[in-house]
Amino acid sequence: METIIQVQNLSKSYNAGKVLDIEALDIPKGQSFGLVGNNGAGKTTFFSLLLDLILPTTGQIENKGIVVSQSEEWKPFTSSFIDESFLIGYLTAEEYFYFIGDLRNTSKAEVDELLAEFEDFFHGEILNQKKYLRDLSKGNQKKVGIVATLIGNPEVVILDEPFANLDPTTQIRLKKIIKELSSQKHVTVLVSSHDLMHVTEVCERIVVLDKGEVVKDIYTSEATLKELELYFER
Amino acid sequence: MTTKRFLSLEWKQFRRSSFFEKGLAIKILMLLGALYFASIAVLAGIGVFFIFKTSVPDQDPFALINNYLIYWVLGDLALRYFMQQLPVMNIKPMLLLPIKRQSVIQFLLLKTSFSFFNILPLLFFIPLAVVLMVQGYHPVMVLLWFISILSISFSINFLNFILNKNKTVFFVVIALLAAFVGLQYFNVFDITPYTGVFFNSFYKVGYTVVLPLALVIFLFKMNYRLLRANFYVDGAVQAKKEKFKNYNLEFLNRFGTLATFLKNDVKMITRNARPKQVLIMSFLFLFYGLLIFTQDIYKDMPVFLAFAAMFVTGGFLMTFGQLVPSWDSEYYKLMMSQNVSYKQYLESKWLLMAIGCAVSFILSTPYIYFGWDIFAMIAAGASFNIGLNSFITLYGGALNRVPIELNQKAKAFSNTQGFNPTQLLIALPKILGPMLIFYVPYKLINFNAGIIVLALSGVLGLIFKSYFLKLIENLYQKTKYKTISAFSEKK
Repeated sequence: METIIQVQNLSKSYNAGKVLDIEALDIPKGQSFGLVGNNGAGKTTFFSLLLDLILPTTGQIENKGIVVSQSEEWKPFTSSFIDESFLIGYLTAEEYFYFIGDLRNTSKAEVDELLAEFEDFFHGEILNQKKYLRDLSKGNQKKVGIVATLIGNPEVVILDEPFANLDPTTQIRLKKIIKELSSQKHVTVLVSSHDLMHVTEVCERIVVLDKGEVVKDIYTSEATLKELELYFER
Repeated sequence: MTTKRFLSLEWKQFRRSSFFEKGLAIKILMLLGALYFASIAVLAGIGVFFIFKTSVPDQDPFALINNYLIYWVLGDLALRYFMQQLPVMNIKPMLLLPIKRQSVIQFLLLKTSFSFFNILPLLFFIPLAVVLMVQGYHPVMVLLWFISILSISFSINFLNFILNKNKTVFFVVIALLAAFVGLQYFNVFDITPYTGVFFNSFYKVGYTVVLPLALVIFLFKMNYRLLRANFYVDGAVQAKKEKFKNYNLEFLNRFGTLATFLKNDVKMITRNARPKQVLIMSFLFLFYGLLIFTQDIYKDMPVFLAFAAMFVTGGFLMTFGQLVPSWDSEYYKLMMSQNVSYKQYLESKWLLMAIGCAVSFILSTPYIYFGWDIFAMIAAGASFNIGLNSFITLYGGALNRVPIELNQKAKAFSNTQGFNPTQLLIALPKILGPMLIFYVPYKLINFNAGIIVLALSGVLGLIFKSYFLKLIENLYQKTKYKTISAFSEKK
């Protein structure tokens, strides 16, 4: 499989010390990739580096051969939802989807077509609500953010803690969506989570971060959940 | 006991606010600013008596002051409407603690009494009362008058909260104010002697003091009851949800690729509290010319006319533009990880500013009343604004890096972040630029040459538009990470 994301000697330090230090990490195209770790392990830092929201102290990340901190060419095929600061609070869900569609050269009709697929997922609480995103519940905001990442046929989708704040039904639906993305559309999906059960179910590969370093790199099997639970029990 | 606890919480909130994390120089500047306003109020309080005495020698100056107090009441109401914050304490965590609701609410209401808007009148009326006593007015009666005025000031304070940002009331107040001032200015009808009777009675009659006293107590009680009834998580504590408004913005599609951002900006401005405030402010800029063009002293100093002309049409352009890209700070990470080209982004903001300036220019046509010279100057000022000022403002905005909470109104005199040496430096070319561009040809040739050169400077700016935009774009790129981290800081 060809590699789409390639990490080399990546590290990020603040005054207080190193928060991330990954020597090498390759993620092949179409893989569903899970990142787990306790608070402060460096998950969000890694995603922020991948999205060029912060500068690495050393090393670099290549996204489809493009060094993310040097060129912006990775943006058209990469989409992400990290937190609420990726939503525009004063827009309605539809307006937000169309806005993202405009940025990603996707017509209104194409966006509508995509949204139709997620009717189940939205559970009638997102579209035609005449409500601004800032007035939606946390869970519903998350649904909007996640679906917006799928607009414009991205090749890399980055989701930080997508399962948090979602109700059980939506969690199950989201797992299905992520699985289909990587297996049918060959989209590379990067997911971080605190929920070991969800990641083991969804991801083909799981990397455990601890204090900024990769401590485990597992291809998911039946035994994975047990292994992870044992590790975190320490 | 509880009051003491509350006070200590408030103190911590105050001590740990971002204000104290500023540099020393800014603190000193802020302090000087506060002192400036305070001393102006004190000086006005001392001076107002003598001003009236010398300008209208045959009438009782105190009575005249009382006549004009109606303008203070209306003006104060209007000012508080869009400057004063509603009393918010973090009451959500208090709801579950064993504290009497009564004491929380009382504390909350008393806290509002210490706002800047209640202290400023004090600084004005105390010296005035002292002057009156020294001038031989009856001390006891002056004291009664002072208590009445104080009660009225606090009544305005509490009334403001009951009205709770009611737009209709605000516009009625503004309309009344404008009508009274206008009618008086054109000698049609003068309201002041009638309202003056009321304010005068506090001194002349004395016992009418019960009226304002009763009013302030009544309003306090009413506020109390209102808060008490809404003291639930789904009541006063919860932020108000705004009704969804939709406009057909398809006509903006003619701007092609810029339309995406333009449409978004129009929604941003119309659906959020802070930009709406800026919109009202920039409208007030239109009236700046009245201050300058009506004064004869400036007739011989056309440089100041040039400055005023720039200000009249530049309100929106400057107040909106200095906060680009801060307007998008709430979702800046999205903008930075999406497929957004800086050039389109900047160009759309520039277009919006230019449109704002053009609208201001159309609204400024009544200035023809002051002569075609003045109007030509305003036109030249508008040209300077669109062609040069816009780019200077955008450049300054990129250095601003203040996160904005879109749906929160700016607190009066608390926008410390926007107040830094860089901003002062950027303000210089905005203010001195048009004056200088006008002055040199005016001195060398004549008045008309000054106007023509000022107008041409704007055209020149337009010719170099893409160059200027490129310059700002480079600044954006250079400061990208700084801006992202500044915008994601919690306030």
